[in-house]
Amino acid sequence: MEDLKELKKIEKYADQCMKCGFCSFFCPVYQEEKVETAVARGKNYLVRQALKGEQKFTPEMGNIIGKCLLCKRCVANCPAKTQIDRVVVGARAQMVKNKGLGFIKNFAFRKVMSNRKAFGRYVKMAKAFQWMMPTTEGKIRHLPDFLKALGAGRNIPTLADKFLRDVVQRVNKPKNGKAPVMRVGFFSGCAMDFIFPEIALKMIDVLTNHGVEVVVPEEQNCCGAAIYFSGDFETGRMLAEKNIEAFKDFDYVVTGCGTCSSTLKDYQKYLPDTEDQQKRYEAFEKKVKDSTEFLIDVLKINPEEFKLKKEFVGKTATWHDPCHLVRYQNIKEQPRAILKALKGLNYVEMPNADMCCGMGGSFSVYHYDLSKKIALKKMDGIKTTGADIVVTACPGCMINLIDNVLQNKMPQKVHHYLELIE
Amino acid sequence: MIREAVLTDLQKIVGKENVLNTPEGLKAYSYDGTTSWQHEPDVVVFPKTAGEISEILKLANKEKIPVTPRGGGTNVSGGSVPMLGGIVLVTTKMNNILKIDKENLSATVEAGVVLQDLTLKLAKDGLFFPPDPQSFLGATMGGIIAENAGGPACVKYGVTKQYILGIEAVLPTGEIVNLGGRTLKNVVGYDLLHIFISSEGTLGVVTKAELKLRPLPPAKKTIMAVYADVAVAGESVYRVLENGVIPDKIELLDNWVINRIEEMAPMGLPKDADAVLLFECDGIPETVEKETEKIVEIVKKYGASDVRVAKDQAEADKYWMARKAGFAAVFGKAPTVLSEDVTVPRGNIPALIKKIKEIAKKYNVESCVLGHAGDGNLHPSVLTDMKNKEHYERSIKAIDEIIESAVELGGVLSGEHGIGLEKQKFFNRVTNPVVVNLMKGVKNLFDPNNIMNPGKIWD
Repeated sequence: MEDLKELKKIEKYADQCMKCGFCSFFCPVYQEEKVETAVARGKNYLVRQALKGEQKFTPEMGNIIGKCLLCKRCVANCPAKTQIDRVVVGARAQMVKNKGLGFIKNFAFRKVMSNRKAFGRYVKMAKAFQWMMPTTEGKIRHLPDFLKALGAGRNIPTLADKFLRDVVQRVNKPKNGKAPVMRVGFFSGCAMDFIFPEIALKMIDVLTNHGVEVVVPEEQNCCGAAIYFSGDFETGRMLAEKNIEAFKDFDYVVTGCGTCSSTLKDYQKYLPDTEDQQKRYEAFEKKVKDSTEFLIDVLKINPEEFKLKKEFVGKTATWHDPCHLVRYQNIKEQPRAILKALKGLNYVEMPNADMCCGMGGSFSVYHYDLSKKIALKKMDGIKTTGADIVVTACPGCMINLIDNVLQNKMPQKVHHYLELIE
Repeated sequence: MIREAVLTDLQKIVGKENVLNTPEGLKAYSYDGTTSWQHEPDVVVFPKTAGEISEILKLANKEKIPVTPRGGGTNVSGGSVPMLGGIVLVTTKMNNILKIDKENLSATVEAGVVLQDLTLKLAKDGLFFPPDPQSFLGATMGGIIAENAGGPACVKYGVTKQYILGIEAVLPTGEIVNLGGRTLKNVVGYDLLHIFISSEGTLGVVTKAELKLRPLPPAKKTIMAVYADVAVAGESVYRVLENGVIPDKIELLDNWVINRIEEMAPMGLPKDADAVLLFECDGIPETVEKETEKIVEIVKKYGASDVRVAKDQAEADKYWMARKAGFAAVFGKAPTVLSEDVTVPRGNIPALIKKIKEIAKKYNVESCVLGHAGDGNLHPSVLTDMKNKEHYERSIKAIDEIIESAVELGGVLSGEHGIGLEKQKFFNRVTNPVVVNLMKGVKNLFDPNNIMNPGKIWD
């Protein structure tokens, strides 16, 4: 019998499922594939069989538990409160534990992404060769996946000329010259570092404008989303420890990436192996804030104070809820409050605003065609609003929305909400 | 096991990508919404047309391979579990809403259309399909027809069979037939349509249906009545109806359910109450107002300790959320929940509730009742854990006795879930042998080789 330590940890969540099948309505993957192995109920059943020793970790089992966006839409709507995200991630962790990571992921997670300097070097190298081949988002966050997505006709933003790490100041004092109202650590994340450094700089700008001192610790690392969601808990734990250490001197850790904030908060949910880790990860969770909740809930800024940048005056905007904000962190109203308060901007709610855009991290690389089909429904929602711009707060979603807007020859521009603020 | 040649033939019929026979895939099609039944098929197929289904059934009929039709697999009778293996025929990829006919208040749908998708689409035209099984988020129209599904709104609107004008179906021998039609009235010979509806997939495969629709009522109002005694609540149900008001829903939550909801998501339900009844009236605004007043008057007269009329939609939503949460509350509270589907004449609701309490006490198990009190359809549930063999067996005995009590009170084995595998042991016991033989005769006429969903209902 295979070792089942990771599965045992999630057994109680798997046992919650009563097989009612309601998840099928909410699962973006099932909605396209219409096959039971795509939906939470099917995955959960197979994991339970694995717990009983009646299902091995076959490659097909790997495909099945791999084909989940972890969007948590089923979790939010499950009558029995089954936490299938934990079940799926736990099953992936068990699989990695028993079968190993495989050469490519091993190299990417353990040699590249878990070492901030090396990660930067490799991305710079990729940058140098970027002109040679169609670029993909994959090479930024999941370097090796890059090859798989080649030729799929994917549109991706080019890498920044200068990464955030090369241009950002370590300490950023409040603009008003007064003593800071608060000192926070800024977590940059890969996408902000390599693709959208200007958004990160904007965020630091907004925070210092509001009297906050923002420190960008060099010791910080990748949040670990792609890594531990793939089941590499070992590297995930190592990153958790490094990040907790890097931010130990701050009351708050703030980030402009929905995936990063959610991932940092959820170390306590997925990774702890000991009680001590559990406690420390939980303490860390309390310090982490997404920029939207930090501005509204912590700094308590009146949304009316935000000014719209001139170039957006008269435009119509709609909000896309990143899964990592709306369901992982229950952040829904804060960004809307900001957008609705921006004078000169016309806000329209899109149907299915909370539906996954189809990105799901490396999901969109492994299952690009399926990802596009899921995104199509998002695009339909966007179309009905007649919006000029689609606003969100997760670089991952931005990358995927940009690609799909272009694929569907739509006129909308995709922006991080911080880009709209003067 | 199925022969290699049959697999190849199936692949030829539906395409390789629509045949699933990996060990993992077969496991994923071995269950439905029930707790205790599971069996793996030999192969799963996903046809897209009636023509493909016809070819599949001809092949299965020739080879005498069992075929279990299946939609969303949300049923709770074991009806779509392939107990004898063979082919599971899944209709989820046949999910087109072919036509919405506003003039004739009808719609044409394929079997794999999910009810909620249909409901959302119809609402845009100001229409609705009244049967509202609580599995609406995953249940497909084919399954809803095959099981003659019900739901809370059946008090006023009736069950599925009253809203199906006609179907296209494939017989086990491969012929594609149309039963019923597109008109409201139809007396052309024997009513084969209604034999097919509620046949639980044993007579053939529904591929298309012509549905009868209704315009969405412009107004709704929700009333919550609180009771110190669940049996008095039961009495209120028929008192309201006999006094000339037909609400579209009358739902019952007992004390146990109320308290679990309040633990999970407090919404101010009366925790001391032995039961609450939720009424909903729908129709034109003036009528709804009058009916609401009348209900308040009647329930007060017949023993409600408190009555609240929802002042707006938000408050009404809160109450109905509580009803939906009740379902979650029950299932989230125990590793295994045995939930029943018995229906008694409405006048006997109080007697049945009393009986359920006695039985739970006798077997020392935790029980609760929620259900569609308005049509006498209750879902008494017993909380247990399959892994605790002794407790589980005791719970099974309690549930069995509850079912028997319902039958003694003039009720039926199933109000809306069907016999499937769950109620087999009772079916032969309570059904007249002459009637059983008639049913078997019908089955034999449609399906001489007994390939369609064998092992169900009376087997």
